Amino acid sequence: MKNQANPWLTGNLFVLVLGMLPAIVLIGALLYFTAWAFAFSFTDLALVGRKSVEWSWVGLENFERLFTRRGFLESLWTTVIFVFFSAIVGQSVLGFLLAAVLRGTQSSIRSVVEVCIMLGWLLPDIVAAFLWSATTSQTGLINQLIVVPLGFRPINFINEYALPIVTIANIWKGTAWSYLLFSAALDSVSREVVEAAKVDGATPFQRIWLVQLPIIRPHIATNMLFITIWTFTYFPLIFAMTGGGPGRQTETLAVFLYNQSFARGNLGFGSAISVAMLAIVGVLSLFYLRLLREPK
Amino acid sequence: MDSQPSRLTAVALAFMAVIWVSPFSWLILNAFNPLSTGQLEIPRAFGFDNFGLAVSGNAGRQFLNSIIIAAGTATLSVLVGISAAYPLSRLRIPGRNALLWTLVLLRMLPSAGVLVPLYFAAQRSGLLNQLGVIVALTILNLPFTLLLLKNFFDTVPIELEEAAYVEGASLLQIVTKIVLPMSRAGIAVVWFFSFTGAWNEFLLPLIFARVQDAFPMSVGLYAAFGQQGAINYGFLTAFSILYAAPAVGVYFLLRRNMNTGFAGVGVKG
Repeated sequence: MKNQANPWLTGNLFVLVLGMLPAIVLIGALLYFTAWAFAFSFTDLALVGRKSVEWSWVGLENFERLFTRRGFLESLWTTVIFVFFSAIVGQSVLGFLLAAVLRGTQSSIRSVVEVCIMLGWLLPDIVAAFLWSATTSQTGLINQLIVVPLGFRPINFINEYALPIVTIANIWKGTAWSYLLFSAALDSVSREVVEAAKVDGATPFQRIWLVQLPIIRPHIATNMLFITIWTFTYFPLIFAMTGGGPGRQTETLAVFLYNQSFARGNLGFGSAISVAMLAIVGVLSLFYLRLLREPK
Repeated sequence: MDSQPSRLTAVALAFMAVIWVSPFSWLILNAFNPLSTGQLEIPRAFGFDNFGLAVSGNAGRQFLNSIIIAAGTATLSVLVGISAAYPLSRLRIPGRNALLWTLVLLRMLPSAGVLVPLYFAAQRSGLLNQLGVIVALTILNLPFTLLLLKNFFDTVPIELEEAAYVEGASLLQIVTKIVLPMSRAGIAVVWFFSFTGAWNEFLLPLIFARVQDAFPMSVGLYAAFGQQGAINYGFLTAFSILYAAPAVGVYFLLRRNMNTGFAGVGVKG
């Protein structure tokens, strides 16, 4: 109880608690809204019309609909593919490789590459969506620079390869975060350890794989946790690029949730979707937290 | 360390950098072309007409709305965050760790999930406006803000505060003269995250802002972008650049603080 002996704290307990009050109120509101969302998921509440006023309890009907009607399971699968390829494979691996490679290069090269990658990350979602729609359109950069000169007919990428295109756009947008985090993590690996491995004759690949990676394992888990969850619930980029289409090819869970709740107005069913998403996110984070805690 | 970066690495890196910025070509070429048609082409004219359009009338109004929302959210989050994170970091509150883990879990909520209740609450209290967006974004931001700020305050050595107390400093002086200056980098990072988060926010204003006058730039751009018929690409690209500029600018202003701050995110997460 070392801290309790600090007189400037114990003497001002009242002030300190008063300071926490606004945050407590806001966190309380968040909890309250979450509880409300849970409650909605057992009703047939609608955005407009008669059922927006005279809603009734429907028990587990909304949750049954998740599994019996088309839509939810397809969206879940789309989301898994999107998260796996854009966050885990794309952003993490690319971010780590960049962080590892750029450490060995001159600071001028490092700054230039860093700024280029950061631009994608800093760009607002809607602008990024706008940019990638234009780049992959029939008269866009990829067609004009690669496809047409090679003698092919221009391809409407966003219609024909919608999911790969939004995945690439998301890698483009998000790699900077992983890069920054891994960069900071690699800075924390003490130089002596790496030097020692070098003296013992470890190749650059071995130094990364056997020395640095195990040391920054907690950082990797933290990063995975963040980006998996962000990507899982990521909405604006896909929504602005495709709106979930063509058909339902890019309708991830976040887009599905929006379409059901606000385009179709099924707030009850929409809440059931978000409860399901929360459960999935919860399971995922438990998995990563285990990774984080078991140092082996 | 490796002092001889191979030429191959340098070429690969340059190649990647070019690929990374190449989508911007279309944006720049169209924005500075008053006769823009939305095609990717070398402009035959050059001028700032599009930017003129993008700061006047409705567009200028939207810029202002975005500034209000972003700066308001960031400042409110940081103020509320600081006054709660300091006690949280210093007092031995029972179950503090459990509380923090709950906060982490809350942070993982899909924000679309709490949108429906948030919307109803705002509707009922007449807050379907900018103030409502600011408060709602602060609520959604707060778990993350608290966690980061607490981690930064944890790194300020308590011995300094003890010394200041012995010298006769009050609690307010200890906080404003020692704790805040020493965690300046962290506070800057948190402010920046909240600012860009709110600046980019799309879903919440989309639902909250019912009239065009209240649209921030994100919603305005989306609305203009989705319009059928004659799209003025010159205007839209110039508008996009103006919209992207503050977030990019603030980052480069705070860049040095940023890198120190990032270490804090990674270490304790």
